[in-house]
Amino acid sequence: MSGPTVGGPSSSGATRVEDEEEIEETPLEQLTRHWMNERHAPDLLPRQEVLLASLLDHIHRQTNIINTLRSDPRSSEDEHLRIMLVQTEIERVKFMVNSYTRTRLFKIEKYARFIVTDEFMQTRLTAGELNHATRFAAMTDRHFRMSVLQSLPEPQSHLDDEPIFMPSMITQPDKTKPVFVRARRHCPPIRLKDGTALEMSKGHISLLPFDVVEDLILRGDVELV
Amino acid sequence: MSSARTPGDLATQLVTESRRSILTITLLKYNDTLVRSLIREQRDLEKAAAPYTHSATPPPALLIIQTIIAQNKRCLLAYHSQRLDHLITMYWSGGCSLPHVLQSDMRAKMSPHEVDFLKEYHGSVMEFRGEFEMDIDVTSGIESPPRELNVLVRVVRECGEIQTEGGVVDFKMGQRYQVRRTDIEHLIVQGYLEEV
Repeated sequence: MSGPTVGGPSSSGATRVEDEEEIEETPLEQLTRHWMNERHAPDLLPRQEVLLASLLDHIHRQTNIINTLRSDPRSSEDEHLRIMLVQTEIERVKFMVNSYTRTRLFKIEKYARFIVTDEFMQTRLTAGELNHATRFAAMTDRHFRMSVLQSLPEPQSHLDDEPIFMPSMITQPDKTKPVFVRARRHCPPIRLKDGTALEMSKGHISLLPFDVVEDLILRGDVELV
Repeated sequence: MSSARTPGDLATQLVTESRRSILTITLLKYNDTLVRSLIREQRDLEKAAAPYTHSATPPPALLIIQTIIAQNKRCLLAYHSQRLDHLITMYWSGGCSLPHVLQSDMRAKMSPHEVDFLKEYHGSVMEFRGEFEMDIDVTSGIESPPRELNVLVRVVRECGEIQTEGGVVDFKMGQRYQVRRTDIEHLIVQGYLEEV
């Protein structure tokens, strides 16, 4: 039995406990983590479809139970208080789901023209999100064409020319953007751009470029804070 | 040559307007005149460049003209793009209500194409919203998390009878009501009710 031990530091305080056990999270904590990740990441992360579906399902059932309880005249004052707490909690979870969805929508619109050309990005979107991205890219193109491009002389009337010394017309996520990460468990060493390696132990917080830690985020080894 | 402008000046004026709009967070009136003169400038520049484009040894002037053309075009697009961003932000903060965003004073500041764009955008967002279950409304506010179920509101604009969880409430001007936040949130956003 040389496996990792559970619990806080030993009484002597001298031995460091190597914490390798799986982190247990409630669905709500998972949602919070993915929500924070999504809000801090410059790139679009894979959508947590399964998690969301189960949470929404749970909310739906809870709402039904509450409606039954509320209309039941035998519910006591004490129970009504509890019902109110549950209702408030439901509203707060909905808020998080909402904010999560809107954060994604914001990025989807920002990178819409990139998404429609990039198949890998498309795998991270739901069908609904992809539809919106496609529609959004089409409607901005149309707006530019109607307002500007169609009046310009023919050689200038295209949207996708790439003049030298100018940024591309297609906005891509800036993956070099620095993000704050916190290690959720002991992470294998990662190689930084200057060639040095960084090994993060649990609870370690660092400011790193997003592309360096992207894999760790996807694996759930670190979270963005 | 006193009336001649330096090519490129108009484009600078245009992006300066965008910048002002960003800094003051207000939508400025769509500058149709400036956009038109800039497009005219583009045509003139294209004509000025025409004699050189097929020569074997293009003169340095061509490079300058082409740079200005590219620069002007980028500024034109940036101006329109910034306006779209602003309109979209306004649309969301107005609770995704099209009539609310297209109020007469706002509408007067938009170009007809922008109004069309907003309508189309609204359609797309509504379709996206429809894909969620009834429990989740993506158009509700995400400014601050809900702290309480009910809010005390005062009616600041006439809005008539509203269906709420506890039955129909007839909101009378100046009166206060205790209601479920989710039922009337859009009315707060649109300025009918005010949180007390």
